[in-house]
Amino acid sequence: MSEEGGPGAPNADATPSTGASSADEGQRALDALALGDDERLVLAKVADILRRINYGTVVLVVQDGKVVQIEMAEKFRLR
Amino acid sequence: MVDVTDALVPSAGEAGTPKLSVRNLTVARRQASGELVTAAAGVTFDVGRGEFVCLLGPSGCGKTSILNVLAGLDRPASGQAFVDGRPITGPGPDRAVLFQDPALFPWLTVAGNVELALRLIDVPVAERRDRARSWLATVGLMRFADAHPHELSAGMRQRAALARALAADPEVLLGDEPFGQLDAQARELLQDEVQRAWVASEGRKTFVFVTHNVREAVVLADRVLVMSAGPGRLLEEFRIHAPRPRQLDDALVSRVVTEIHALLMQEVNADVARTTGR
Repeated sequence: MSEEGGPGAPNADATPSTGASSADEGQRALDALALGDDERLVLAKVADILRRINYGTVVLVVQDGKVVQIEMAEKFRLR
Repeated sequence: MVDVTDALVPSAGEAGTPKLSVRNLTVARRQASGELVTAAAGVTFDVGRGEFVCLLGPSGCGKTSILNVLAGLDRPASGQAFVDGRPITGPGPDRAVLFQDPALFPWLTVAGNVELALRLIDVPVAERRDRARSWLATVGLMRFADAHPHELSAGMRQRAALARALAADPEVLLGDEPFGQLDAQARELLQDEVQRAWVASEGRKTFVFVTHNVREAVVLADRVLVMSAGPGRLLEEFRIHAPRPRQLDDALVSRVVTEIHALLMQEVNADVARTTGR
């Protein structure tokens, strides 16, 4: 994900490179998606998992366009 | 949406007194030449009540030796092992063991073998028959209750051993490569049986299995402890939060298997380089 619009990068709102923070960029991306309640729930759960693990794998199982299951494996180094 | 990621974070092993505990355990075994070889060195881990843990590692890493210490069949060279916080001094009915060889008594019927296990823990005669048959039904061997072990396939014999182990209602089931000698299909069936038995215990039974089969470990366990080549030390732990029964080709299972396999190959290659000096 580029922080600044380089050559060839989309620059739809013509924001100059000095003004766009990643918070603004994230908010715009979310607004553009107009998420439904189910989608917000999935993203919240994934964000919660990402906050809790340092190394691992998260798997979303999708059926008929919907996330039906979230699984994960967490890895710890013991040596 | 099924979210199974909450249930085990933090791991059950981190709450209260662990069911099993291994502290700085070093185990040695004597070779035929009389030389004492360190199998596992300085191993420390806990297993929470109701957890399913697999110890995984290359041959000779000492995983079976650790299991034998937990079973009370072997003594450590140093360090300690505990059950419910008490030092393990010998075998006990609270810890059943499933060996690679089912070790059924050949002169007893399948039901007779299970009933004998119940007699040893003083279950009244009247109860033994029903309890044995109920467990044989659970593992799909009801039709063979009156058969003798030699009439069964290897997979069925191991299923009988599983019924015998669980019939005595142990709090801990220790498995030492219990499916090592089975063909792929029988192995998968047994993996399903074991998963069902563990789920049915609803957190009352603690399972610790030793295997060198990566896929088996990931399908069965909440936590997989990966050991180095001998002398074995703990390398990494994988906590797997996926619903059961798991299948060998589940996406998460496959991904974790790939990762553990790469880790073990790296470990084995490093061990070969050490021993050959290359």
